Amino acid sequence: MRRKQTGFWLFILPALFAFVLVVLVPAVKGFYYSFTDWNGIGKNAVFVGISNYGKLLSDSRFWNSFLFTFVFAICSVICINAVGFGLAVLVTNKIKGANLARTVFFMPNLIGGILLGFTWQFIFVSIFEAIGKNTGMIWLQGWLSDQKTGFIGMLIVLTWQLAGYMMIIYIAQLESIPESYLEAAKIDGATAFQTFLKIKLPLVAPAFTIGLFLSISDSFKMFDQNLSLTAGGPANSTEMIALNIYNTAFKESKLGQAQAKAVVFLIVVVVISVTQLILSKRKEVEM
Amino acid sequence: MKKKVVGCILTAMMITGMFTGCRNSGSQSGDGTNSGSGDQVVVDIFQNKNEISDALQAAIEQYESENPGVTIHLETVGGSDYASSLKAKMLGNDPVEIFTLGGPDDIASYQEYLEPLTGEEWVSHVTAGGCDNVTVDGQVYGMPIAVEGYGLIYNKKIFEAAGIDASTLTSYDAMDKAFADLQSQIDAGTLADQFPVLEAVEEYAAKESWIVGLHTNNVALSQEFGSAAKAFESQTVNYTYGDALKDLIDLETRYTSSRDNLSLLNSVDYATQVGGGLAIERVAVIQQGNWISPEISNVSEDLLQDLGILPIPLKGVVEDSIAVGVSNYWCVNSKSSEAEKTAAKAFLNWLYQSDEGKNIVINELSLIPAFDNYDGIEISDPLSAEVMRYMDAGKTIPWVFSGQPSGWDSNVAANVQAYLAGSMTWEQVIAQNKSDWEAMRQQ
Repeated sequence: MRRKQTGFWLFILPALFAFVLVVLVPAVKGFYYSFTDWNGIGKNAVFVGISNYGKLLSDSRFWNSFLFTFVFAICSVICINAVGFGLAVLVTNKIKGANLARTVFFMPNLIGGILLGFTWQFIFVSIFEAIGKNTGMIWLQGWLSDQKTGFIGMLIVLTWQLAGYMMIIYIAQLESIPESYLEAAKIDGATAFQTFLKIKLPLVAPAFTIGLFLSISDSFKMFDQNLSLTAGGPANSTEMIALNIYNTAFKESKLGQAQAKAVVFLIVVVVISVTQLILSKRKEVEM
Repeated sequence: MKKKVVGCILTAMMITGMFTGCRNSGSQSGDGTNSGSGDQVVVDIFQNKNEISDALQAAIEQYESENPGVTIHLETVGGSDYASSLKAKMLGNDPVEIFTLGGPDDIASYQEYLEPLTGEEWVSHVTAGGCDNVTVDGQVYGMPIAVEGYGLIYNKKIFEAAGIDASTLTSYDAMDKAFADLQSQIDAGTLADQFPVLEAVEEYAAKESWIVGLHTNNVALSQEFGSAAKAFESQTVNYTYGDALKDLIDLETRYTSSRDNLSLLNSVDYATQVGGGLAIERVAVIQQGNWISPEISNVSEDLLQDLGILPIPLKGVVEDSIAVGVSNYWCVNSKSSEAEKTAAKAFLNWLYQSDEGKNIVINELSLIPAFDNYDGIEISDPLSAEVMRYMDAGKTIPWVFSGQPSGWDSNVAANVQAYLAGSMTWEQVIAQNKSDWEAMRQQ
């Protein structure tokens, strides 16, 4: 028994060490800085109580980006999981080239967000523009120059990047459904659509718990794609919270204020994620 | 059994990976932590001008070969990432010895890291006002990197082909008329044979907050404040010349290819304006400065020779001048060891005051020095020569944006973007800019 205990701690130590060093300590320190007026440069941070949190209430730019992030997260969670699940169903059918398709769909996930952002920026701003001009399709012109196209642009990029990853999760779950269930359904005379709705979907529910959890947190935290695609513009209308916090901290040199925003943001994301976990756990079906 | 073997190999790989990572980072910081110990003095330079980094590296190697006791490491991070990287550098265990700062606001923020340079020999040779932005209570804390100027850069060949004499364009109305004339010729297709991709007179990069919120905005603020130090002291901004600023922005956007829908300008960035605009002769005029020379010559060396600078007019106030100033200063870290500080100062002195260094500054780094003892060295870059022409004629307005509250330029740019998109009136832009300034000053 004691040997088992030692082994447990021995194995968990490296991960625990890294977690404490790069997550826990900075988080606690950040929490402390949210009560100071630290500018991020000097060594002296004066304790100012909760005034940073007070200022948040009247910061309309922060609440605008909060709302924008919220709406964006809802849309992107739906898109990412719908597309990811769709792809998973597609490549688990026994069609030709399914393995190649899996690789191709997963590939965008291997590219970093900054690079993706700049690549798509070129597509939206230059290629769309050129096609629009030559074919007279006005809706292809002026992408990323207003909030609507900025929003759709970021949605496309994030979906394109994350759908492949969700696909892998759904594939794993779809393939673990025992053949006998599907056969039984067939013998009972269920159509393909009924099989999908009544058997596959409930049995994939545990994967949805994970998929939703990952995509919710990824959508809320989105930073690099936002920075490289629109940089929050025009007129800060596509600035998501993470970028807003970064700008406050490093462009305006108000690290204390930025930390207060980060703490509020953290609490909101935790509440949403945990609620989602509890809700979708209830929907899961045991196999 | 097979699984176990695979598991072992994977574990081994991961552990190796961990240690490899450590070793790499160890050796990187190792270079720095050695500094000061032994005979070798190591000086780290951290700067933000991408365009000079190669030439500066060459100059450093030359200096090192002449001074065997000194090793200099150069690191360059360009654009708006510099400010945040510098914060990380200074708070880390191995702060840099030489770094660059922008002006009064930076100087105040980094006060505890700044070595006074007042006693240095070069201080007496700085041109009038060159160090005003970095002088606090009589102490000089920075060495001007270069004088830079921006105005409306134009393509001489296109103007000649259109029969417009650019030397007469020294007022707002004259420029407005000439641009309208040129645009009508482009629309009529009479220039299409000579310049097949030419589609509009101008391009304006409204996406870039520094172009809108620092440079364009500065034209009006320079007349209100007069110097960056005054702007830095001011709790409020009046926008005395707010209407003239509107006229300037209208002039710069009225003849772009997006003139029917100005909101399209909000996705135009620096690269589209310079590399994808002026450099390929898609447009004839852009608001930029002499720092675009390397970028233009990358595309076409010939074109660079045909570029000139028109004034950036503030209607009814100053219509025949360009904006000239010092954007960045070399600073020395006061927390470094004495040996490192001495070596850092010696290097800066060599670079800007020795005959060898002067030659490098002008011909290799393509900078306009802010010193009065560079007689007899000709400036080869056409745009820098244009800036010199305006300076010699006294037709300049100062740069005051380094005295703005930090981050205010983003707000200004955002408001102007809203104006271009039609969601804010000009009166609202001015009112918002004013209240943002006051709010940022109070914090």
